This record gives sequence, structure tokens and C-alpha cells, in this order.
Amino acid sequence: MDAQFAIIGKSFAISVTDKSVAHSIVKMKHNADKTYELTPHTLMSVTGVPGDTSNFSEYIQGNVRLYGIRNSQNLSPSETANFIRGELANALRSRRPHQVNLLVMGYDKNTNESSLYWIDYLSAITKVPFAAHGHCSYFVLSVMDREYKPDITLEQGFDIIKKCIAAVKMRFPINFTDYTIKVVDSNGIREVSMADL
Amino acid sequence: MARRYDSRTTIFSPEGHLYQVEYAMKAISHAGTVIGVLSKDGIVLAAERQATSNLLEQSIGSEKIYEMNDNVVAGVAGLTADANILINQSRLIAQRYLQRYDSPIPVEQLVRKLCDMKQGYTQFGGLRPFGVSFLCAGWDATFGFQLYQSDPAGNYSSWKAACIGENSGNAQSILKQEYKDDSNTELPNATSTSMSMDDALKLSCLVLSKTIDTAKLTSEKLEFATLTLKAGKPHIHVYSSEEIDSVLKEHEAVIKPSSD
Amino acid sequence: MSIMQFNGSAVVAMIGKDCVAIAADKRLGQRALTVSTDFQKVFPITDRTYIGLAGLATDVKTLHERFRMRVNLYKHREERTIEPKTFSHLVSHMLYERRFGPYFVEPVIAGLDKNNQPFICNMDLIGCINYADDFVVAGTADNNLFGMCESLWEPDLGPDELFETISQSLLNAVDRDAMSGWGAVVHIITPNGVIERELKGRMD
Repeated sequence: MDAQFAIIGKSFAISVTDKSVAHSIVKMKHNADKTYELTPHTLMSVTGVPGDTSNFSEYIQGNVRLYGIRNSQNLSPSETANFIRGELANALRSRRPHQVNLLVMGYDKNTNESSLYWIDYLSAITKVPFAAHGHCSYFVLSVMDREYKPDITLEQGFDIIKKCIAAVKMRFPINFTDYTIKVVDSNGIREVSMADL
Repeated sequence: MARRYDSRTTIFSPEGHLYQVEYAMKAISHAGTVIGVLSKDGIVLAAERQATSNLLEQSIGSEKIYEMNDNVVAGVAGLTADANILINQSRLIAQRYLQRYDSPIPVEQLVRKLCDMKQGYTQFGGLRPFGVSFLCAGWDATFGFQLYQSDPAGNYSSWKAACIGENSGNAQSILKQEYKDDSNTELPNATSTSMSMDDALKLSCLVLSKTIDTAKLTSEKLEFATLTLKAGKPHIHVYSSEEIDSVLKEHEAVIKPSSD
Repeated sequence: MSIMQFNGSAVVAMIGKDCVAIAADKRLGQRALTVSTDFQKVFPITDRTYIGLAGLATDVKTLHERFRMRVNLYKHREERTIEPKTFSHLVSHMLYERRFGPYFVEPVIAGLDKNNQPFICNMDLIGCINYADDFVVAGTADNNLFGMCESLWEPDLGPDELFETISQSLLNAVDRDAMSGWGAVVHIITPNGVIERELKGRMD
């Protein structure tokens, strides 16, 4: 029951994840960050079974950074996404698969383009302009379908995000009090507060 | 003295030598010459085939030049049987990388992985080092065209023009003299030369004619390959014997003086 | 609902006169929810052999990667490209290897061999090959595709007619299947090269 979605423009990506961690009917945490910075220009948001999310993400983060150190050059967002998918796919057919839903987004300094990859717990992968996981997707995908244009500016991106959050607030039975919103562009990754949208 | 320290690869001699590795390099210095020349829009590999005979069935494929991946082609000097093992491994390494990251392997990473394997055989007990040197010509999106040389010890280095095999010292000095290098950049891998592909072919012919001990260069004794870009993608071309003949004919002028 | 229907797909291949065609829809979904309308299901294996993979999206990707690896190694080792029939046996073998824990895909292979003879075939998820001299179908819209192909296909269609036939068959088949559609891509393989065309379909 998490909210996890993202949208990209020509040269930026915006990630949105809710900040709550729930166990049964209890909210255990209200300031969780469900995103992981893999390289200075690649961000991954993760939801799923709590143990798997952190275990798998930290494994991925470690390996992507190790690649950067070994080869004095970081993986591009597309290479990163494919690597993650491969690890998840191998685990899928092992004794214990990871149950995680991922959105991998980044800015490629070589091509000067941003990209977003949707990866589900079965490790199906697809490159998309906007994406969501979980029950929230039924609300936010409709909003993004209506509002999205390939050449949106960052401000227009924020507007769409605001509308998505409003739709979730209006129709979703769980009330998320706060969201982690992060922007990836040529300058790297930065967090934006809800108030600054 | 040597007898005590050269029976195993893992033992240093008191002078600090690894004899087996040095013997392997010695073996390569008798192998057919391989030349690699970097130009601004591609790389030329040229190789000498030794031991030709009228009775020998002309092999369909090349025996000195192999494709390691769609973006890397290698010239081999040394034991062909040893090389086959390494070529096979390098193809697997390249394909595993492609499967993992969905993008072609950077040239240096492939060369490094291959050299790691060679190094292992100079250290772990009871095994003989690979008696092979490679000239790897490759292209990747980050560093463009690159030429690497590797030796049996597992060292590798990046070159603008390089030579391995018989008479390689001689050839290297000709390359140094004749290579038009107008590099004003410190980047090791930057392709900073005004040499065209044709210049590179011409230089290869010149060096071959001076290093190969023969009256006349013919297509039976030579192999040529080029790596260029075609529509933004690396393109490897291994020359047929007719194409080699026409290259030799075209550059007759540089070849002739040496045969006098 | 079977796992084969989880993501939704429609793939079809047809034989023409000295040419073959292969086409697939572009949808990727999670059951009824559409996630992407630009998901690739048809992949080039050589210049003149293509494979379409219908079924579970994760296995589509995994198998494409594994086929690409095997075909590249074949190409470098043999110094020639793989023939469509040889490739179909490679696919069959790799699927049957997992007889008791299969990849959930139904492959469709189309290509021209070295004599420019058209070749098509399809398989079940454990690699049982079905050769055909007319058309083969796979995916969630397979019944619809059979009906369309059965009524539209005829022998000895030229490249242009074949394009028209396969496009109409696919578009009208996916219109009556909720799990596939959202655009399509068609490849016509001829001795002179491959023509790739994107089709717009109903986006609802």
C-alpha cells in the first residue's frame, strides 16, 4: 500500500514516493525515504516486501557503485536498469525471489537525455515516459495519461505531480501525509519539498 | 642456475625473473608479425602468416585475425592453439557483458579481463603461461577507436601504432618514424592523428614489406582487417585475398624499394 | 487466469511469395492494467530472421537476451549467420531444457534461408515446433488471429499485399482482445531487405 510514481521530461526526471512504512494496521515510520541514489545521475525508487526492498536495493547500490570505482566510469541509466533487471530475474528463478517493484530513472550525460524504466517484481522491464506501481497507479496513471506531453518543462512536471497527489488524496482510502519528491537532471539528484512544488 | 627456477611458473629466480613468462615472450618474438595502426576514422590490423605451403589447404577463415565482439577485432602472435582458448573466452566475456548491461563492452574492460586470465597462469602452480600476444583494435562510445597490446605476463598498454611478433622492434621504430602524430592532448585514448585509413593501410604495407623476410608480399602470406564506423556503429571487415592483392597493388610504390 | 495471459500479447507470422512477414502488438500490461504501449516483442536475430515472443514479459526479455548471446557466439565461431531453421532448433532446445520449470513464452520465428526460401514456425512453451506453409499465431489474441488469418490469407502474396493482409489480420484480431493491441509493428522480410512499419491501432 505504497505510493510510488515518476515522470520524465526531455532532460529531467521526477520521482515521488510516500514517506510511510506500515506494518499491519500500524504506521511504523512517517519519514522513510524509499529512493536510492545509485550514481550521481541515477535514482531508483523501491516498494514491496520491507526486508526485500532494503536488502535488494543496498545490494544493487553497492554493485553499481563498485562498477564505477573499478572502471572509473559510471553505468548509464539504461545500463543500470538492465543490470538491476538481470539480478532480479536471476533471483526470480532461484529459491528465494525478491518481491520488489522498481522505478529506475536518470539523466544520461552522454546523450543528454533522461529516461525512466518500469520494473515489476517479475522483472518485466519497459521504458516509459511516466510510470507507477501499486494501487495508486489506478489513480495517478489516469492523471498522467491526460496531462503528459513529451516536451513538458520541470514546472509543468511539478504541476502534474501535484494533480496526481491530489487525486490520491481525494480517492485513495489511505491518507499519505508526506512524500519524498526528487528531481534528477544534469546537475544530479536533489530533493524538493512538497511546499516548493 | 636457470634450471632451478624455470621448471615452474610460480617461482622467481634470484635475479627476479619469471623464466617461463620470459620464454613465452621469446616464443612470440618468432611468431608472424602483427601490426596495428590507428587512424582518425578507423584502425588497420595487418598480420603475417608464417609456414605457408602449396600443400597446405587454404583455411576458409583467417588464422591470425579474429573478431572478439562486434566492436573488437584482434590480431594474434604466438601459439594459435593457446590463442583459440583466449579468443573463445573473450567472446564469452563480451557476450556476458552485453547480456548484463544491454550495451557493448568497453574495449579496455575486455582487454583487462583477458589479461587477468593471462596473469593467472603466471602465478598459479603447475600451469604454463599462454604463449600469446594480442593486438586488440576496438571502438566504444566513450573513448572512440583504441588499440591495445597485451603480452603473456598479462600486461596491456594502449598505442597509436603497435607491432608484435617477429622483428617487432624493427617495425616499431619504423612506425615511430613514419606515424603522423599531431596530438596536442594529454588524453591517452583520444584519437588525435591526421592519419586517414588509407595512410594507415599504406603505413602497414610499408612496415610489412620491411619486416617480412620475403622477395614479394602476396595475399597468401598476409591478412588484413579494418575496424571503422558505419552509420555510427562499429564495422569489422576482414579482407579477402582478392582485396589484399588490390591493397598491395595500390601501395606498390612503398613496398617496392625494400625488395631491391 | 494463466500466467501466459498476465501481460497480454499478440504475434503473427505469414508466408508470402519470396517473402515473409512477422507482426506483433505493442501492449504491456499487468492483467487488465496497461503499463506501456511501446513494448517490443519482435526481435531481429539476423538480417533476415526475426523472432516474436508472446507471453510473460520477463521471459520475453530474458529469452531475447539469451538468444542474442547464443546467436552472436554462433556468428563469431562459425563466421556465418544462423539459418532460420537452425535457429528454431536452438530455440526449441533452449525451451525444452527447462521442461519442468518452463519460460512462459510462445515463440514465432520468421525468416528467409540462404536460398531465399521463406520459413515460418511457432512453438509451445516447452519447444514443440510447428512448421507451417501459411501462417502461425501466438498470444492472448491467438483465437482471433486464427479466424482473421484463415479468412484473409491466400498463397503467393507479394510484399505489399502481404503487409496489408498481416496488418488487417492483427489489427482486427486485437480489437476484440482486451489484453493486446495499443499499436503494432510489422516486419516484411524480402531478399532485398526488411521493411519495418509501425501501425496505429485503437488506443482504448
